[in-house]
Amino acid sequence: MFFLIEEYLPILLLFLVSVGLACIILGASYFLGVQRPDTEKVSVYECGFDPYEDSRNKFDVRFYLIAILFIVFDLEALFLFPWAVSLSHVSAMGFWTMVDFLFELAIGFVYVWKIGALEWE
Amino acid sequence: MYNLDNLILYNDFFSNTESIFVMFINEISLMDFSVLHENHFKMILPEVFLATSILIMTLHASLVVTSRRLGYPLIMQSFGKLSILVLFLTLLLVNNNSITFMLTYQNTFVFDLLTLGVKEILLIATIFCLLISENSLVTQRINNFEYFILILCAILGLMFLVSSYDMLSLYLALEMQSLCLYVLAAAKKDSSFSTEAGLKYFILGSFSSALLLFGISILYGSTGTTNFDNFYLLFAETGFDNLALTSSVEKALLCIVSAFFFKIAAAPFHMWSPDVYEGAPTSSTIFFAVVPKIALFSIFLRLSQTIFFSLEDVFLFALLFFSIVSVIVGSFVALRQKKLKRLLAYSSISHVGYLLLAFSANSLEGTQSLFFYLIVYMVTSLCIWSIVLSLNTSFNQEKSKTLVDLASISNINPLLGLSAMLAFFSLAGVPPLAGFFAKMEIFVSALSSSLVFASLVAILSSVVSSFYYIRLIKTMYFEKKKDSSFVFPVTRACSLTIGLSVFFLVYFFINPNLLLLLTQKMALCLF
Repeated sequence: MFFLIEEYLPILLLFLVSVGLACIILGASYFLGVQRPDTEKVSVYECGFDPYEDSRNKFDVRFYLIAILFIVFDLEALFLFPWAVSLSHVSAMGFWTMVDFLFELAIGFVYVWKIGALEWE
Repeated sequence: MYNLDNLILYNDFFSNTESIFVMFINEISLMDFSVLHENHFKMILPEVFLATSILIMTLHASLVVTSRRLGYPLIMQSFGKLSILVLFLTLLLVNNNSITFMLTYQNTFVFDLLTLGVKEILLIATIFCLLISENSLVTQRINNFEYFILILCAILGLMFLVSSYDMLSLYLALEMQSLCLYVLAAAKKDSSFSTEAGLKYFILGSFSSALLLFGISILYGSTGTTNFDNFYLLFAETGFDNLALTSSVEKALLCIVSAFFFKIAAAPFHMWSPDVYEGAPTSSTIFFAVVPKIALFSIFLRLSQTIFFSLEDVFLFALLFFSIVSVIVGSFVALRQKKLKRLLAYSSISHVGYLLLAFSANSLEGTQSLFFYLIVYMVTSLCIWSIVLSLNTSFNQEKSKTLVDLASISNINPLLGLSAMLAFFSLAGVPPLAGFFAKMEIFVSALSSSLVFASLVAILSSVVSSFYYIRLIKTMYFEKKKDSSFVFPVTRACSLTIGLSVFFLVYFFINPNLLLLLTQKMALCLF
């Protein structure tokens, strides 16, 4: 049993801390905040469209564009975390590979920005 | 500095003694990875050049097109020429290569004479596709510079696909080219046909990719590796009697084979191809029809004949079945088609059937005849698609072309009619043309592997398919045009392509040595 505790104790601690923190944040805003609900506030998204409604309604395709762009740049962050943690193991090759990846993504970002995909109106 | 030979030895040394010397390698790569990878980098230089050019071109185009100071210029024409230049320079870089065999980057990529030849053919075919479709982009009012960038990305993916030597790199390269092709099918944003074609292609294509991934994951689960070199060593022993492992590997291979048949549109999995060919803008259709097949065939030949050769029974059954079905479906369904693009799609399905027949012969001659047929087929289809692009009249310019549009070409433009006749005869396999020679070689190699029944079915279906090719020729020579409309002249690039390819078709019947040598060199890499 000892090795289990040794191996998984950090994960248990992380789990406990995150549950506790989530409870504190949610509870604090629930009990300390002023509650004046209206239809706009309690809807699922304040902006965007309702996810569960008649499938024959028109919706704006720009939501999807934004979502796709968000995924791309969110995944970039996802790649950065393990890379940053293991940077001492991956040698110069690993470092420059990631820099190259970021550089190429930056070019994609410039493209997206210039052709106006980030502008709502 | 290390010289060339040392580094090749070095590389072999790594691949064989990987696990023992991991520490050692790590130390070296920590010391100076630029020296270690110098030679590897030389091998992927064409791909690196292409990738860098794509990045620079994206940056250039997005900055220029949106520039108010320049007045939001239209850059389609110049951008097309620029991408042709980039492809040409990549071709030179591919050519400028003195190493005949090398595995690079921890056995992820392989470079040999097969990849060299296939890459050159890919690049040349793409250059011609871009040349002949330049004018049709204007008439279809496609005005996105992304079109060219997507074609370049697709070529980059295909080049990596040809070279891949690991299931992971294979999957990533295949996805790179397919994603580009889906968008190319939907390139005409205001046409619902084009959008439908893109969506259809995307859904069915991603289904086949999922099958491929499933097969790869079963392989990984049962063997613990994704590398071709390891598979090769693991399955090299023919008396392989671990039943549990063999049966799961067989299932995995069937998944991979089915995904491959999806991608090349062999018969029971062909449903997407006529719709996509029909709906996509003609310039994209040409690219789909001409370019990707040879890359898919070369990587699949490597898988079946070099890596998993001891499990060839699984492949052979599937290949023969799909070959016969494709030939029959392609020949009979094409009889009822009225639109040119659908007809050509079905004709390409039947040609895939002949290619698979050569594939299932599973011999050096079979593989050689497969490459021979593929190259001749690519040249013929370049010729036929440029003829389709040259059928524009003031009446039908915006519409999808039907068989009626071919009527009385021989009177309007006798040379165009003659070239079209020769190209269709070559597709049908009529003697004094390269198409006959290619088809004959396929049947000879199939018969020498005693595939008598399959060859018989293929020969009989080829009689049926020659009916509709000859009907096209009849339409061109003996039918009168109903409407009177202004006929647009053939563009210079189209006429050049038609002339060159007709010369090729005639010349390589008389003297096929050059092509035979090239294809033999390519086929020898697999045995």
